[in-house]
Amino acid sequence: MHESEVVDITDQNAVALACGGNPEAFSFLYEKNVTRIYNYIYYRIGSASDAEDITSRVFYRAFGHINTYVDKGVPFSAWLYRIAHNLIANWHRDNLRRKEVPLEDHLDLPHKADQPERMLEKNQELILLMKAIRRISADRQQLILLKYLEDLSNAEIAQIMGRSEGAIKSLYHRALIALREEMERIGYKSD
Amino acid sequence: MESKMTDMNNKGMFGLEEKLSSMLKPVMPDPVFMSKLKTRLARTPAILIEKSKRRMGVIVVGAGLFAGALTVWIISKLKKR
Repeated sequence: MHESEVVDITDQNAVALACGGNPEAFSFLYEKNVTRIYNYIYYRIGSASDAEDITSRVFYRAFGHINTYVDKGVPFSAWLYRIAHNLIANWHRDNLRRKEVPLEDHLDLPHKADQPERMLEKNQELILLMKAIRRISADRQQLILLKYLEDLSNAEIAQIMGRSEGAIKSLYHRALIALREEMERIGYKSD
Repeated sequence: MESKMTDMNNKGMFGLEEKLSSMLKPVMPDPVFMSKLKTRLARTPAILIEKSKRRMGVIVVGAGLFAGALTVWIISKLKKR
């Protein structure tokens, strides 16, 4: 594949080329999606090392089964999110008895431009917010993270989650209500 | 009264949405991890054939049944003698 082809390539072309074993097509799909898949997993489970492990498994599974991928007109990332969603469910199932996720993992990441005191306060807030998010159902978590981390529209989220746009709107409303309730339950004040 | 309640509810939701959009920021994965994974993926054959646990189970059960039937047959033959 020449450089010009890489520039013009679409998800669908890349998948077709990857099925034929083209390493550059794999690289293209990987580069395009790795950060968003990592972010999704990281915010769902709260541990950087486990997020790396699951991200690796998502890509191994996707590239190992790329010949089974059926193009239904949805972005390739939708397939990756679905794999990630299933692997996260397995991770939660396998770690049911494990101690709670180390939420302090978040401390060194966002809000780097703030003053140290404000940064700490924000990180404490983020820890509580993430704690509340992880207490709502998996599909509601997925919706919240896709909306706020990826900045996706309801139509795009509907494609990824395999639902109608109307169903996403309604799920979003229920997700916010559930999240607010969980925040109140853990003593987090959103105002 | 009801509209006031809805108003308060909407304000609360709006506040929560604002909070979510200000707090949930994408993080960058470790570049070393990303580059190592990319290299490992490039080295792995494109199509992996996973061993099916179900198929293995069928083979084990089938072999067990075959061995059992063979034993019964041998015993019945020996008894006839």
